[in-house]
Amino acid sequence: MTEAMWLIAAMMTALLSMGWLALSYESHWQQVFPKSASKPELKRLKAAGWAGLLVSAVCSLVADHPSMAVLVWVMLLALASMTIAMILSRRPTLLRMICPPFFVANA
Amino acid sequence: MISHTALQTTNRVIAAIFGGYAFTWGLSALGITAMVTLGIDFHEAETGMTLVAFLVFLGLFLWTFASASMLRVWLILAGGAALMSLIASMLQTSLLS
Amino acid sequence: MFNSLRMSMGWVHTWMGLVLGFVLMICFFFGALSVFDREIDRWAIPDTRFEPQPMPSFDEVLKPVFEQLKPHPLDMAATAERVIGPLPDPATMKLESVYAYTTHRDPVLRIGGEFGIPNQPKDPADDHLHVHGWATVNPTTGETLSSDALKIGSEWFYPMHFNLHLTWKMLGYWIVGLAALVMLAALVTGVIIHRKLFSEFFTFRPWKHVLRSSLDLHNITGVVALPFHFFFAFTALVIFASNVYLPLSYTMLKSLHDQHEQLEAERTGLPHDKSGVAAQMASVDAMVAEAKRRWAERDMPGEVGYLFIDHLGDENSYVSIYRAGSDRVALVGEGIHFKASTGEVIREQPPRSVVSSINEFLTGLHLQHFEHWMLRWLYVFGGLMGSICIATGFVLFVEKRKAKHAKACSQGSRIVDALAVTTVTGMVMAALGMLVANRLLPVDLVGKGQWEQNIFWSIWALAFLHAAWRSSPVAKARHNPAWRDQSLLIGMLSLAAVVLNWITTGDHLIKTVFTDTYWAVAGVDLSLLATSLIAFYAAAKLRAPVVEQKKTDTALNRNKQVNAYD
Repeated sequence: MTEAMWLIAAMMTALLSMGWLALSYESHWQQVFPKSASKPELKRLKAAGWAGLLVSAVCSLVADHPSMAVLVWVMLLALASMTIAMILSRRPTLLRMICPPFFVANA
Repeated sequence: MISHTALQTTNRVIAAIFGGYAFTWGLSALGITAMVTLGIDFHEAETGMTLVAFLVFLGLFLWTFASASMLRVWLILAGGAALMSLIASMLQTSLLS
Repeated sequence: MFNSLRMSMGWVHTWMGLVLGFVLMICFFFGALSVFDREIDRWAIPDTRFEPQPMPSFDEVLKPVFEQLKPHPLDMAATAERVIGPLPDPATMKLESVYAYTTHRDPVLRIGGEFGIPNQPKDPADDHLHVHGWATVNPTTGETLSSDALKIGSEWFYPMHFNLHLTWKMLGYWIVGLAALVMLAALVTGVIIHRKLFSEFFTFRPWKHVLRSSLDLHNITGVVALPFHFFFAFTALVIFASNVYLPLSYTMLKSLHDQHEQLEAERTGLPHDKSGVAAQMASVDAMVAEAKRRWAERDMPGEVGYLFIDHLGDENSYVSIYRAGSDRVALVGEGIHFKASTGEVIREQPPRSVVSSINEFLTGLHLQHFEHWMLRWLYVFGGLMGSICIATGFVLFVEKRKAKHAKACSQGSRIVDALAVTTVTGMVMAALGMLVANRLLPVDLVGKGQWEQNIFWSIWALAFLHAAWRSSPVAKARHNPAWRDQSLLIGMLSLAAVVLNWITTGDHLIKTVFTDTYWAVAGVDLSLLATSLIAFYAAAKLRAPVVEQKKTDTALNRNKQVNAYD
């Protein structure tokens, strides 16, 4: 059961990080928020995104044998980025959920 | 009437597929026999070469389309294939004797 | 011929991608289905809907089964063409080697063996002459399955994705191999010609005109799953390299290979040839127990995945027992070899070398015998991304050119569009039609499996005729209504398959999910329902012909912007 928990954690962090990475692009930010973003904000989102991807890799490694974890992680990245792209094209404002005010001041 | 461009394109496609394959074949044969000569296990050498072979083939395939001179492409692909196969055969003969 | 690298790479991407794209579509789609081939087998053969079984006892279950095994008529015919003189009566042929193979997903077990023949080969270099026999066994009863019960997943969809069922001169393998190489080339060239690889990583704009939105979809499905696409095409080539694509050890380096085999037999102590002295066989179950004990000792307890016995009934006979690689990215491994007459260990396979481990990982990640359901579904996702990428590639090709072709009265786009319909929706229809036929044809019909295959090909051929017949609007720069027709048919066929499974077997979703859970069948049914929903949604979206026309006109105006290469 703990293995499944770690896999879910890996999936969620991958999704979250891809969301932050997408928002760190000015063009996607504008799809989600009315005001434009500040440079440090975008930088912070980008850093959080990359860090999150790392966390998701660690979660995958805890769940499985390393050889399997690599495959799971790479495929999760694909799924997460596709999901974020679809959210951005259908319901972009949903991404406000992953930007609490203390994290993104301009939201 | 077949246009000049169509002929050129056909030439490139044939070189990319068959020339590239022949070169890859020669390289794999040479790689295996050379490694066996150096004392590496036959199946190890064979596996090692299959891991490299298709990446080389891919490179050759794209290079054939990017290259400016088809003469050079054919010289390297066909010449390389023949030369490497020949050396591989010689190495095999010397290994078996 | 090309003015720049970008142009030459664009040419390769467009034209090689188009021509081999029709093959790649088949590989990706049926490859995605193959992830669940065993589960599709359960759906298609209701008698085998029970839990996966470990390797059964050899001494009690398999031994009597092997005694019943006969040379397969198909291989009798194939071997007869390779040898001089007539083959002996199959009933008198002696079994020389046997194997049994199973995975953590198999309720039934595959077994087979080689029968010795006295004939000389027509081609002196053609050694290893045997007639093969094979069967599928129900390990709970020891009965063999009727060969008329086609395993649609593992015997039809799965081979389709690597040999297209074109086995003549291995032609199918070579076509798929070339397609895999072109896939790799298409990925590299795609990255080279992509103008905004990173800045449009998350970009999909379905509200824009067809050309733009399908280019978005083409890019995104190609880019996000790029490692998947690359490694699956690459490992496809590696898997078949030494046997099919670069068969050096059977041809040019045969002498070196044969010498190595002899040396290897001496080194490992596994006899290469028979001794000619007859001998009894000790208990194989005891050998299996010993193998399991040794695996547990190495801190990797496991089940038997593959069992092989060579030189049956001879003093030199040996038994090889391999561990199922369910918990690794590997097929089977950690082989332990026993002397058959005494049961003593001859050899324990040492840990793999670096090269061999890389190879095991690469082939293992493609062949996926591991036990990891989430990764399986992620692979289906990857396969579908590949399918969408190729399908949108066709759409782009046609959309870019159809207006130009219409002006020039050319049929070019029309032909490509008809072929695209055939290989996208037509292929799905053929697969679904086969499942529907499987449920409609009576279980005891002689040659049921052959009927199912014929129906599969017929539906696919009809789908092509339909697509071609309906495609005339494309030549006038309009949209082919066949896309919508066939989407509707897909929706109906997949719904019919679920209902027919319920009627003919009593296994409806409430039962297979809740009351008597059986995920193999429930998963297939749920996937069919999802397919049905998506197909009906697509058909509804494809209705509005007026909007379509407007979009095409806009696309024509913007053609110049997007037309980077032609």
